[in-house]
Amino acid sequence: MQFSNFQEFIEMGGYAFNVWSVYGMFLIFLTINLYGPLRKNRQIIRDLKRRYALNAQVPPMPARAGSQSSPGLETTVEERA
Amino acid sequence: MDWTWFHKWGSPKWFYELSGKWLPWLVGAMVTCLLIGVTWALLFVPQDYQQGLTNRIFYVHVPVASISLAFFPLMAMAGTIFLVWRMKLADVVVKVAAPLGAWFTALALASGSIWGVDTWGTWWVWDGRLTSLLLQFFLLLGVVSLRTALEDSEGAARACALLSIVGCINVVVIKYSVDWWNTLHQPSTNFTLATDQANGPEIWVPLIFMIVAVYLFFAISLILSTRNEILQREKRAQWVRDLVAKS
Repeated sequence: MQFSNFQEFIEMGGYAFNVWSVYGMFLIFLTINLYGPLRKNRQIIRDLKRRYALNAQVPPMPARAGSQSSPGLETTVEERA
Repeated sequence: MDWTWFHKWGSPKWFYELSGKWLPWLVGAMVTCLLIGVTWALLFVPQDYQQGLTNRIFYVHVPVASISLAFFPLMAMAGTIFLVWRMKLADVVVKVAAPLGAWFTALALASGSIWGVDTWGTWWVWDGRLTSLLLQFFLLLGVVSLRTALEDSEGAARACALLSIVGCINVVVIKYSVDWWNTLHQPSTNFTLATDQANGPEIWVPLIFMIVAVYLFFAISLILSTRNEILQREKRAQWVRDLVAKS
């Protein structure tokens, strides 16, 4: 241990500004780059949930058009038969 | 040779599932190394006979600065894989690594500056090491803005991959700058196992803990951002729908 009391630890031998600002920036840097992606992940999942729910409400148009054409095909098959 | 591993690694779904299993272990290891490293560095490392207690800055500055040099080689490797084999996941890595690299480089510059103000007597000098690291910061910002500037996403991906490969030249300059130009920044230190030397284990063992912690942090942050980018790019895939429905 390099310090005999807490006061000495805070003073850092006269370099309190240098040491504590670097360790403070390090802490901010770690927080931003871990908490940021985690928060973004929750936001993406929330947005996708809403998006999928919206898409589910809209009836799938091209599929209907496809199913309408199939009876026509069937009739031609029947006519051929 | 069996190449299935390569296709597996290229599969965003596979990466998402596997990285989800790794993350808790990586975070646990990082927190452990960080707590040991920071406590040791702040409380127990002996004072430097010239610098006094500013030598505590060493344990943040050196890991962050040395890992900031890993970004361009990583992005160049991923960029090459993307250009040659069209692996989408490799382009995701190029994209998410650039802003994180800019953060690393900025912290390396800022912590070095605050260290220098009392030990060198100046915040900044245009010495080889400092100038080339500042250039790396701007190059990384360049990669970030290049992607947003180009509308064609395929073209932007290719341009970013190319810039990442070219940017590696600067890493060589940063690495050897302290040997080529003898100015303020000191050359790299040789650490020794002998306990009676000035740079013995009591100095470098806490540094090892900090380097491992910062490397793990780098991996964790990169994996988290990669997972986010995968979700956004694969939003039409069924596995993403299932995953969103479950959460």
